[in-house]
Amino acid sequence: MKIVVCIKQVPETNNVKIDPVTHNLDRRGLAGVMNPFDKNAVELALNLKDTTGAEVALLTMGPDDYAESVREGMAMGADSGYLLSDRAFAGADTLATGYVIAQALKKIGDADLILFGRQAVDADTGQVGPIVAEFLNQPQITYAASLRMSGPNEVTAERLLEDTKQTLVAQLPAVVSVRSELNTPRYPTPRNIQLSFEKPLTVWHHDDLDLDDTRLGQSGSPTVVTKVYAPEPVKRELTPLTGTPSEAASQLIKALKEHQLI
Amino acid sequence: MSKPELWVIAERRLDHIEPTTQQLITKARDLAGNSFKTVVILLEATADHLEDELTPYGPDEIRVVRDDRFPTATDAEHADALQQLVETYHPNGILFGATITGRSIAPRLQAKLQTGLTADALGLRYDGETLIAVKPSYGDNIMCEITIPERRPQMVTVRPNTFVAEEAAGTAEVTTTTVTFHPVDRLQVTAATPVVNTATTVGDASRVVALGRGAASAAMVNHATQLAEKLGGRIGVSRPLTDQDRFTHDDQIGQSGNTIHPELIINFGISGAVQFLVGMQDAKTIVAVNSDPDAPIFDVADYGYVGDAQTFMTALLAQFN
Ligand SMILES: Cc1cc2nc3c(=O)[nH]c(=O)nc-3n(C[C@H](O)[C@H](O)[C@H](O)COP(=O)(O)OP(=O)(O)OC[C@H]3O[C@@H](n4cnc5c(N)ncnc54)[C@H](O)[C@@H]3O)c2cc1C
Ligand SMILES: Nc1ncnc2c1ncn2[C@@H]1O[C@H](COP(=O)(O)O)[C@@H](O)[C@H]1O
Repeated sequence: MKIVVCIKQVPETNNVKIDPVTHNLDRRGLAGVMNPFDKNAVELALNLKDTTGAEVALLTMGPDDYAESVREGMAMGADSGYLLSDRAFAGADTLATGYVIAQALKKIGDADLILFGRQAVDADTGQVGPIVAEFLNQPQITYAASLRMSGPNEVTAERLLEDTKQTLVAQLPAVVSVRSELNTPRYPTPRNIQLSFEKPLTVWHHDDLDLDDTRLGQSGSPTVVTKVYAPEPVKRELTPLTGTPSEAASQLIKALKEHQLI
Repeated sequence: MSKPELWVIAERRLDHIEPTTQQLITKARDLAGNSFKTVVILLEATADHLEDELTPYGPDEIRVVRDDRFPTATDAEHADALQQLVETYHPNGILFGATITGRSIAPRLQAKLQTGLTADALGLRYDGETLIAVKPSYGDNIMCEITIPERRPQMVTVRPNTFVAEEAAGTAEVTTTTVTFHPVDRLQVTAATPVVNTATTVGDASRVVALGRGAASAAMVNHATQLAEKLGGRIGVSRPLTDQDRFTHDDQIGQSGNTIHPELIINFGISGAVQFLVGMQDAKTIVAVNSDPDAPIFDVADYGYVGDAQTFMTALLAQFN
């Protein structure tokens, strides 16, 4: 069995600031790390590797430094990696990203299970998995809360909707995105870190894939970000409650009565 | 020329309509003004009458498609049915709830239609025929305005409880139409069971006593329970408290928990991180109790007490008794 896990590299903290002059995101000093939610997908794959001997490959689309996250995943135990890197892919929204990833998966060819994290913490969309599933015409199980092999060529998964638990059975190949509660990702062992440098990392550029250029990068992206700003909580005029705790409490009770809240 | 259509995709939750659908109808009516026609798309079984839960909210039209396979249809089957409808009616915009279901179906439909989809919007407005969606990213630290200038339909998933559903006058025209159901063989929904104990969540309460890391002791939780009872409300918590056995994610307020719109929220020992504030800043009356006079929660509060949460709580309960 072959599993491909799609991973993204993201800024290491969510505390990004907006440059007051340029109004662009200020990512200075922020190192890239593997999207935390993708580690749950890697862990699921490694679990299946431990129990069924599956082969696990990682796939990412992004600039060359995304190779670091691929190495990180290989240090966790994945067998190989693919990096899709080309200027033509830059500026892609979820649709254009999903297209390139789907074309790469077609070239890889024989993946039985394609795994995604629940969402990337920078963009927070969770759309790339279902888009890839659609482009590959495969069934999908999103936000899987558990997953096990239930036959030689079949997985059974649970999905928690807002107030319903669904059980789904999929015949492979299939696309699955995982909830972060599914498992606790393992840490790389020193031995696996060492091994990771010997594992194959394949880099594919534009010409290595069969691509329709109109569907790539910024020009292949239907969505446009027109404005970026920091959210300002709506400020209110504060009435302080003063004096001893008991005095302050009676001021509050009076105010709540005035507002007919009690 | 007839008005362009703005769609709301109705979502079903067991035998009812998921409340985000009604919230989106109210918002869609507001967005549509006199320029757009609001149409709710409802896929249901032949014996269902879920449209009855939608008519009070006053969309212009409820377009029903019936097939007994819809209640257990998979994401791909839903997306396929919706694609057929889009290709017949060419809506200008489509709103989905950013529920797990909405967030799973919408991107598949987007891929079929090769159009744009903005995820998890917190705000929406039209500029002419361009829909502008406000989307948080980086864990709500950054807001982006996103448009889909050239392709149609313009698709958006909208965070649940961002808008308040309001019943409206006007009679919705209920029409029926058909699509061809294309079953997908390789995926079966084999069971769907309701998860118990979700009858009332903090999202339904009109009065909320919210506890944060500065009000996490067992005594505090006990007192807060008494206060909530007296107010006829519920306890909600900031994220750190979901680590306690007593609280779950269902009790959490904020970006990755519940967005709430209570009449009253009293916050004890909560600093007011942006991820918490986005979940509660629309409350009618906000009270904050915090020992740090510079805590950001005071910026959004109507009433504030600077001091120890436990002491204030004791004084407050004493006067209620
Ligand atoms: C992607 C992402 C999503 C998140 N989603 C959420 C979310 O949905 N909901 C959420 O709540 N958080 C969320 N967070 C976490 C959020 O950033 C904050 O860390 C969290 O809200 C802090 O909780 P708190 O105010 O209870 O704790 P703290 O920030 O530790 O604040 C405790 C407060 O208690 C006060 N205090 C201490 N002792 C006392 C006392 N004796 N009496 C009175 N006051 C006292 C302190 O002055 C302080 O202001 C998210 C973070 C990220 C990155
Ligand atoms: N550039 C990328 N390369 C590989 N996988 C990606 C990329 N972007 C997103 N993904 C995958 O898609 C998931 C959802 O991402 P998103 O839709 O951006 O929130 C992530 O958790 C990853 O598994």
